[in-house]
Amino acid sequence: MNLPNYEFLSAPLWLVTALHLLTLTLHFAAMNFLFGGLIIVLHAGLRKRWDDPTLVKFVRLFPAAMAATVTLGVAPLLFLQMTFPKPVYSAAIVSGWFWLGVIGAVIITYYALYWCSLRSERTGRISRSALLLAVAGLVYVSVVYSSVFAMAERPGLIHELYAKNQSGLVFNPATGDYALRWLHMVLGAVTVGGFFVGMLGRNETVTFQTGKAYFVGGMALASVAGIAYLMTLQPILAQLMQTPASWVLLVAILLSLGSLHFFFKKIFCMSGTMLFVSMLGMVYVRHIVRLLRLGDQFRPDSFRIAPQWGPFALFLACFVIALVVVAYMLWLFFGAKRAERGDIMQSVSQETGPR
Amino acid sequence: MNYPFWDEPIGYGMLMGLIAVLHVFISHFAIGGGLFLVVTEQQARRANDQPMLGFLMKLSRFFALTTLVLGALTGVAIWFIIGLLNPVATEALIHNYVWGWAIEWTFFVVEITAALLYYYGWQRLTATAHLAIGWIYFAAAWLSLVIINGIITFMLTPGQWLANGEFWTGFFNPTYWPSLVMRTGVCVMLAGLYALLVAARYEAGQFKKRLVLQVTTWGLLGLAITAVGEMWYWRAIPSAITTKALQIMPIPMEALHTSVWLAAAIGALLVAARAMARRMPVFVAGIAMLTGLAWFGAFEMFREALRKPYVITGYIYGNGVEVALTDRYKKEGYAAQINYKTGDESADLFLHSCRSCHTIDGYHALRTAFDGTDRKFIAEIVSNAHLLKGNMPPFLGTTAEADKIAGYIYARVDQRPLAEICRAEGVDLGPKAYAVRCANCHIPGTASDKSKSFAGQSADDLNTLLDNAASLGEGMPDYTGPPAERAALVAYMQGLGKQVKK
Repeated sequence: MNLPNYEFLSAPLWLVTALHLLTLTLHFAAMNFLFGGLIIVLHAGLRKRWDDPTLVKFVRLFPAAMAATVTLGVAPLLFLQMTFPKPVYSAAIVSGWFWLGVIGAVIITYYALYWCSLRSERTGRISRSALLLAVAGLVYVSVVYSSVFAMAERPGLIHELYAKNQSGLVFNPATGDYALRWLHMVLGAVTVGGFFVGMLGRNETVTFQTGKAYFVGGMALASVAGIAYLMTLQPILAQLMQTPASWVLLVAILLSLGSLHFFFKKIFCMSGTMLFVSMLGMVYVRHIVRLLRLGDQFRPDSFRIAPQWGPFALFLACFVIALVVVAYMLWLFFGAKRAERGDIMQSVSQETGPR
Repeated sequence: MNYPFWDEPIGYGMLMGLIAVLHVFISHFAIGGGLFLVVTEQQARRANDQPMLGFLMKLSRFFALTTLVLGALTGVAIWFIIGLLNPVATEALIHNYVWGWAIEWTFFVVEITAALLYYYGWQRLTATAHLAIGWIYFAAAWLSLVIINGIITFMLTPGQWLANGEFWTGFFNPTYWPSLVMRTGVCVMLAGLYALLVAARYEAGQFKKRLVLQVTTWGLLGLAITAVGEMWYWRAIPSAITTKALQIMPIPMEALHTSVWLAAAIGALLVAARAMARRMPVFVAGIAMLTGLAWFGAFEMFREALRKPYVITGYIYGNGVEVALTDRYKKEGYAAQINYKTGDESADLFLHSCRSCHTIDGYHALRTAFDGTDRKFIAEIVSNAHLLKGNMPPFLGTTAEADKIAGYIYARVDQRPLAEICRAEGVDLGPKAYAVRCANCHIPGTASDKSKSFAGQSADDLNTLLDNAASLGEGMPDYTGPPAERAALVAYMQGLGKQVKK
């Protein structure tokens, strides 16, 4: 039967990959702010600082950070499914219930964050239980993601696990594949969280110092976990080092160190940019590791390329317009003239009431 | 069949339905509610209507907490669940419509940002800026519907896309516009229903009366647009689909009828709410809300079930079998195409051929269909699945594979004779035997009803008919039941014939 064949990519692979890596880095930036920030606030709270005004202020940002994390997570998932459908879906199916549980965990986390934010707004204190619940939710999500995506790199393991159990209650037993990577990611989140705490609390010595401690400490520990993870890649490490990814990794490490330098000088724009580009580099290296691990078992470049330039151009236009509109709204919110605080109704009648 | 199969106990239809209905119920409110908020805010600001602005602030918190969290995440949940339940169709959709989804994502980014800023902006922004963000929110939310509507309707009516594979041909398919109109109406209707729930919590009085009258106007207006849109939608569906649905697909048609009654109930509840506007109790709004949810559930069931036997009409069957590979399946069989194996070929064949719609004794249970039958009968039914009521996908495997599936099912059903299972004999056993052996195709009162042909037939004639069933060329199986069941069945068939005569 002569029906359209769906096994194609609707844009060149390099373009889809670039979009995937860029949007994934944006997702990581938001996720790290949230996850790292949560861990830092929790840690500070355990040191009896539940009513610290700066932390309270920070907690109020979490629901928005969660919204950004979820929203920015949609696009990379889309591009990932487009380029690696077979390994990703297969691994997700084998761990079906855990995979679906991610949604439940995120919903609980989201409401816990709103609860925490609204309560801190009302009482000036942070809800410990809500915060703990949110952290637990994010830990669950991060572990499941790590396990499923690690499984997706080993089709042989998927076959083996599926043959034994088809219920979707299989958790990737090859923890050696992902435990260190997960730890590296969590410590990376603490690093980025530290950066944001320091930046937002730049005018308050204690808060800045707290952020600095987490930024530096997190980066040191993340580096150790990262190197240890690289060592676990032994069968493909040599191959990895022969690709441009090794240079990208080196530049990413240098950029991380550079971001520390500018952070100390409180030049946050430069520090943040270097940190972001460094993350982008790490994400690229992670992508190459995935390709090397999959080898010939699954090759995204085996897809036929049949570009849909019209829809792509529309996407690009919409993307640019979206950026402009978001910037405009943020300008309205943060930059433009504000209504009188505390008496919105008064300002309403002054501005738009009947003449 | 390139993917593993998730053998969960709940049933694919049930899982998908639970997540999808909840999502559409919230996401449509996210659009209509946005319009309601900004239009009403604009009116309230012009009139310096302070109580109304207070109400809108309350509503916007409810709105943000519902749509930003549940709405957004059940949307992501749909992504997760479709990849688990039908990875082949999901892969096909992503490859064809990735830029559609990417465009929708850009609107989603704007929508989420605007929703947050609108919610947090009541006490921070000027009136003009707040309204601007409100309008941006609504525009982005509705545009996301404009996009996703193209992909949803494509799945039911891909139209000429099947011939040319063009993005826009599939996107602006035959049901695109009616569906867009209908769903826009639903958005407005749900805005009214959700707002009614918040309004109902106000104390009895003049303001509550005004509020209820206003929000029910939205509900009724939305309902009217929905009704017109739904009728247009039905007419726009190709007659090949609707005719078959009317003839042999009870599930979508019952769902459609239910949705019409529920829509009427929503209208009645909204009118009742207007009548008691001053002191309308919360439970009325609650019932209206639940009726709205039930209506959406019924409509979505109609839409999903109408696609049967496909998940993408004319392209991929509901069980993930690709229409384009029909010849290969027929030639090589199913087993050769199954990439992930359990080690039990019968189980593999059952999972990939049947299990996406049927469980053994839960959702769309096979036990009730096959208890008291035999392996040969089951194998015949499997082989001729496409002829059964419900419009099932064809079985494209080999005869030996059908027999293996039958063996798998037979081992899990009640193998005692039907008479023993039902504890019935004679006249009482007849209808039960007919239900199991005949009514999978021949539903009394429908086009497939063969009662007329029984009229005037003797028991011997009908016995001969049963003996030669397989040779009638309509995919009927040979009668393989025990003699007592056969006698009861024949007597029942004679009874059916006599009823026709009368």
